[in-house]
Amino acid sequence: MQFKRKAQAGTMQSSDLMVFLEPADELRIEIESTVKKQFEPLIRRQIEAVLKKHQIRSGQVRISDRGALDYAIVARLEAGIKRACS
Amino acid sequence: MVVRLFNDRDWQQARRLIETQGLQFEENFEVLLGIFEAGELIATAARERNIFKMICIRNDHQGGPCLGELITELLNSGSYAGFHSFFVFTKPEHKFSFEQLNFTPLVNHHKICLLEYGTGLKHYLTRHQSLTKPGLNGAVIVNCNPFTLGHRYLIETAAARVDHLYVFVVREDRSVFPFDIRLRLVREGTADLPNISILDTSDYAISSVTFPAYFLKQDDDIQTLQMELDLILFAKHIAPFFQIRKRFIGTEPYCRTTRIYSETMLRVLSGFNIETIQLERQKNRNKVISAFRVREALKKEALETLRDLVPETTFQFLLSDQARELRARLLDYQRRH
Repeated sequence: MQFKRKAQAGTMQSSDLMVFLEPADELRIEIESTVKKQFEPLIRRQIEAVLKKHQIRSGQVRISDRGALDYAIVARLEAGIKRACS
Repeated sequence: MVVRLFNDRDWQQARRLIETQGLQFEENFEVLLGIFEAGELIATAARERNIFKMICIRNDHQGGPCLGELITELLNSGSYAGFHSFFVFTKPEHKFSFEQLNFTPLVNHHKICLLEYGTGLKHYLTRHQSLTKPGLNGAVIVNCNPFTLGHRYLIETAAARVDHLYVFVVREDRSVFPFDIRLRLVREGTADLPNISILDTSDYAISSVTFPAYFLKQDDDIQTLQMELDLILFAKHIAPFFQIRKRFIGTEPYCRTTRIYSETMLRVLSGFNIETIQLERQKNRNKVISAFRVREALKKEALETLRDLVPETTFQFLLSDQARELRARLLDYQRRH
């Protein structure tokens, strides 16, 4: 799948995250997080897994995280992907 | 739940809430949001372009989820309006609350903090990475509304005194001449100078027009604060990236704002080891050349005067068909800058 439009999902509440997606020629993942120091590699791995599952190979993916748990990251990103690809 | 405030009654409630917190209600915004509880407004926030302002939560609801909810909705509305990065100007004591929401502090001033949400500054700098040059570099920041012989003189003189000169053209469009035209005329008018790069200020020049002052006290010198913030932002983030050690500015005989700006510049930049160099303004017939005079001459169709004030490149453009609409617009334009 490919991003067709700009989309976003999630909230800036504590333990949640916001996902901002946009079409782009190459894949770019940017992560901002209040727990970036401790968890950036884990968050990145999680995001890459979801993108792979949906066969997304290009696009700008920006994450603004406030300490969300794995399943929240997956859910928010999937919601964003569905919006961006529809 | 966060809702948009549309009607007068809600606006009055927002104004009251803001004023009871010792802040001031500003009329300039595109979106005003609020959270109600039992029919009463307990929190409010506004967005003007990519600036969040008048964020205000009633004392008994602070520290809860209100701020996150408001920011979420501001981000939603702002992203769909096409913005990528957002700014908030706030009191230093609230800096931490915004950092918790992934805002990054850009300027810490003892009265105001400026924070950014998103990676705008980082992207701005990366985008210009290829322009960075080693050496002792200088900068001028110009509006060029439009490009005159005075600008040409400032840039040429400054360029002769540094290894490389960065010419930042103010992006914000509050002038008769739109940004792309202003930029183009600067490029054309300086094409022969080998050691300059021309770039735009993006959002990283804080203008007095967009500077929100709602949280400042009446007796604060708002104009000076805005200038200080703008200069600190330049000195802390822009100058080190381009290795800028000297900033040039034309002396300003009649405009008070510009004169205060150069005095403030000298004071602020010296703290960052950046030299401020004032250059005597170029004159013609004993009067300094200014973009204001150019616009006046254009309005009166005084072509001979115009020819003395602008380089050939600007002159040709001003008379071209492409500039017809601009000439018409100029006739209704009253402001000085």
